[in-house]
Amino acid sequence: MCLDVDKKSIDKFVGEAKGQGFRTLIEPEVKIILKASEIPVPKFKVVKDMAEAVEEAEHIGYPVVLKVISHDILHKSEAGGVITNLKDMKDIESAWSEMLFNVADNVPTASIEGFLVEEMAPPGIEVIVGGLRDEQFGPAVMFGIGGVAVELLKDTSFRLAPVEKKEALEMMTEVKGYRLLTGLRGAEPRDIDAVSDVIVKLSRILDSADGVKELEINPLVVYEKGVVAVDARAILA
Amino acid sequence: MNERKLDFLFKPRSIAVVGASDVPGKLSTIIMDSLVDSGFKGSIYPVNPKHQTVRSLKCYPSIEEIEDGVDLAVFAVPAPLTPGLLKRANGKLKGAIIVSGGFGEMDEAGRGLEGELKEIVKNGGPRIIGPNCMGIYDSISKVDTFFLSRERIKRPKRGSISILTQSGSFASTAMDELAAEGIGVARLISYGNRVDVNESDCLDFLAGDRATKAVLLYIEAIDEGRRFIESASRCAAKKTVMAVKVGRHAEGALAAMSHTGAISGRYEIYKAAFKKAGVIELEGYEEFIDGCRAFTMQEMAKGPRVLIITDGGGIGVAIADACMDSDLCVESLTEEKKQALKAIFPPYYTIGNPMDLTGSVNDELFAEALEKSMEGSEFDMAIVAALWGPPNLTDRLPGLLAEKAERIGKPVLICTPGGKYTRRKKKLFEKRKLPVFSSPESAARAASVLAGKKGVKR
Repeated sequence: MCLDVDKKSIDKFVGEAKGQGFRTLIEPEVKIILKASEIPVPKFKVVKDMAEAVEEAEHIGYPVVLKVISHDILHKSEAGGVITNLKDMKDIESAWSEMLFNVADNVPTASIEGFLVEEMAPPGIEVIVGGLRDEQFGPAVMFGIGGVAVELLKDTSFRLAPVEKKEALEMMTEVKGYRLLTGLRGAEPRDIDAVSDVIVKLSRILDSADGVKELEINPLVVYEKGVVAVDARAILA
Repeated sequence: MNERKLDFLFKPRSIAVVGASDVPGKLSTIIMDSLVDSGFKGSIYPVNPKHQTVRSLKCYPSIEEIEDGVDLAVFAVPAPLTPGLLKRANGKLKGAIIVSGGFGEMDEAGRGLEGELKEIVKNGGPRIIGPNCMGIYDSISKVDTFFLSRERIKRPKRGSISILTQSGSFASTAMDELAAEGIGVARLISYGNRVDVNESDCLDFLAGDRATKAVLLYIEAIDEGRRFIESASRCAAKKTVMAVKVGRHAEGALAAMSHTGAISGRYEIYKAAFKKAGVIELEGYEEFIDGCRAFTMQEMAKGPRVLIITDGGGIGVAIADACMDSDLCVESLTEEKKQALKAIFPPYYTIGNPMDLTGSVNDELFAEALEKSMEGSEFDMAIVAALWGPPNLTDRLPGLLAEKAERIGKPVLICTPGGKYTRRKKKLFEKRKLPVFSSPESAARAASVLAGKKGVKR
C-alpha cells in the first residue's frame, strides 16, 4: 500500500485558493489530491464549454456525469449543479443548459470556474470517509454509512489521525450500519478492506496537510471489489 | 515552567493558609479546620497581618516572614489581591492553591488577573492550582484544602482511586457520596480555571504515584489536547484511567461541522481522544459511582463474558438483559460443563446462564455453585444475585462467597435488590470486599466498567 501524501500539490492548491480569498478547494483539486494518495476516483476532465464537454465524454466513455465547479457552491446537488447518467451528446447538450439555469436560479452570485465531466460510477453502497482538524486534539477521521442515514441517525465513528489499518477496521465496526457492508440478508459482502485503506490514507493526508481544515469523501461508493470516491470536498484552515 | 514534578503539591512538608482567621464561616477558617482536622502532619502556618495567632498557631504577617519558606500555600483572599501576594512570596513558595473565585469565570478584569498569574508561573514563580477551585483532598498526605465543613461534606477514607476534576461542586459531591458508600480515595484534585496545573500535569504525577491504582477524570473541556493524549496514554499503560465527559450535547449542537450535519462536533473527538489514549469512557454520574464501587473492591476483568448466578429466576433474567444492554456477553455454558454441574446439584436447579439455584439453596451450595461454574476460562466475571427471601441463607453466605471469589481469581459482583432486611446484609458483603449493587442495571454497569467498557456491540 502506498502511503505517500502529495504534500507539494496540496500546499500548492491551498496556497493558490487562499491567495484568491477562497475558503474551499474545488472538486477536481480535491480529487487530484486523493488520486495522489492512491484513493480511487472516477475518470474526470475539467471543461470550459459544451463542445469540450462532449469531446471529453466521448473520450471517457458514456454514461457520464456533469458537475458545476465553483468555490462558491459547496453543495452542488442542492444547487442543481450535478446531473447524472448522461448517455450521449444529446443528453449532455440538454443537461448543460439545464444546469446553467439551475445554478443561475439557486446561486445567482456564484462565480463558475468550469464544469466537470466525469465517468459515471455504477451504484454500490455509499459510505462517508471524512476528517477534520480539531483545535484541541488535531486531525481526526470519521467513518459513516452514507446517504440520508448519516444526517438523520448520526451513525458515525471517529479516531484521531493518523490511524493504522487495525484502527480503521475497528472504527468501521462501531457504526450500526456496518452490517450493510458485511452482506446483509444474503447480499454479497463489500470490499471492507478497500474502505479501511481509504480511511488510513485520508487520515495521513489530514495529518500532513495543515492547510486543510476539513476533508470529506461523500459518497465513497463501495463494491464487492474496490471503492470509488465519487464526490469530495475540502475546507481550508 | 520551573518544576514539572508536583510532589510538593501532594506531599508538602508545610502549608500556609493566606488570609487565615478564627472568624467562623470564613473560607480560610474552614480550610484551617480542614487541615487541622484531617491530621496533616507537616507544619501549618496561618498568614494574616491582622492576627497574632489563629487556632492557637503563630500567625505570620506574610509568607515572606516564614523563615524556611513553605511548600504549599492556600490563597483564600479576594481575587485582585492574589497576584501581588504571590509575587511577593516568590522564592519562599513552591506551590499555590488559589481557591478564590472572581477570575476568568467572571469578567474581563478577572481574565486580566489570570493573565498576571500565568506570567508569575512563566517567570519561575510557584506552580498554581486554580483559581476558582477546591484544591486537594489527599487521604495519604492528609492535605485537605476543601472549604466545606466536614459536617456537610464528609471525606472518604483512604483508598486507591484518584479523582481529577475541574468542577469543585462535582469534587465535593462525589467525595461526600463516596464517603457515605464507604468507598475510599487516594487523592482528589479540583483544579478549577487551571491557569497552570491541568489534567495532564496531574496525570503525569499520578502515573508514577504508588498510592493510586486507578484514575477517574470528570471532564468539561480538555486543555492542551495532544499533551493530554500523551499523558493519559502513559498513565493508562500503568493503571486504569476512566473519564466522564460532561457537556456532551452542548458541544454537539454548537460545534457541528460546517458542511455535514453528520459530524456532530467536539464530543466525538473527545471519544476518539479517549480511545487513542486508552481511557475508558464512563456514561455519567451513576456509572462513575458504580465503577468506583466495583473497582475499589475488585480487579479489572479480562473480558466481557459474565456468568449470572441467582436464587431467583426473574432477577437473573433481568440481570442478563441489563448485561446485554451494557454490551456484555451472557453466553450459555458448554455442554460439558452443564453435564458436570448437573451431576453435582439437585435436578431442579436450572443449569445455564443465568444459573437458577431456586429458593431452596443454602449458603454452602450457593458458594459451591459459584466456584464450580466459574472454573475454567469460559467466563471473565460473575454477578451473584443473592435474594434474601428464601429461608436457608444466613449471614455466613458473604464470607463463603468471598472465599470462593478469591479462589476463582476473577471479579465477583453482588446484586441484592430488596428492602430493609436485604439492605442490612449489604455491609456483610462489603466487609469481605464484595461490591454490592441494588439493581440489575447498576450491577451490569459496574461489570461493564470492569470489562473496560469493551463489550460487544449489538
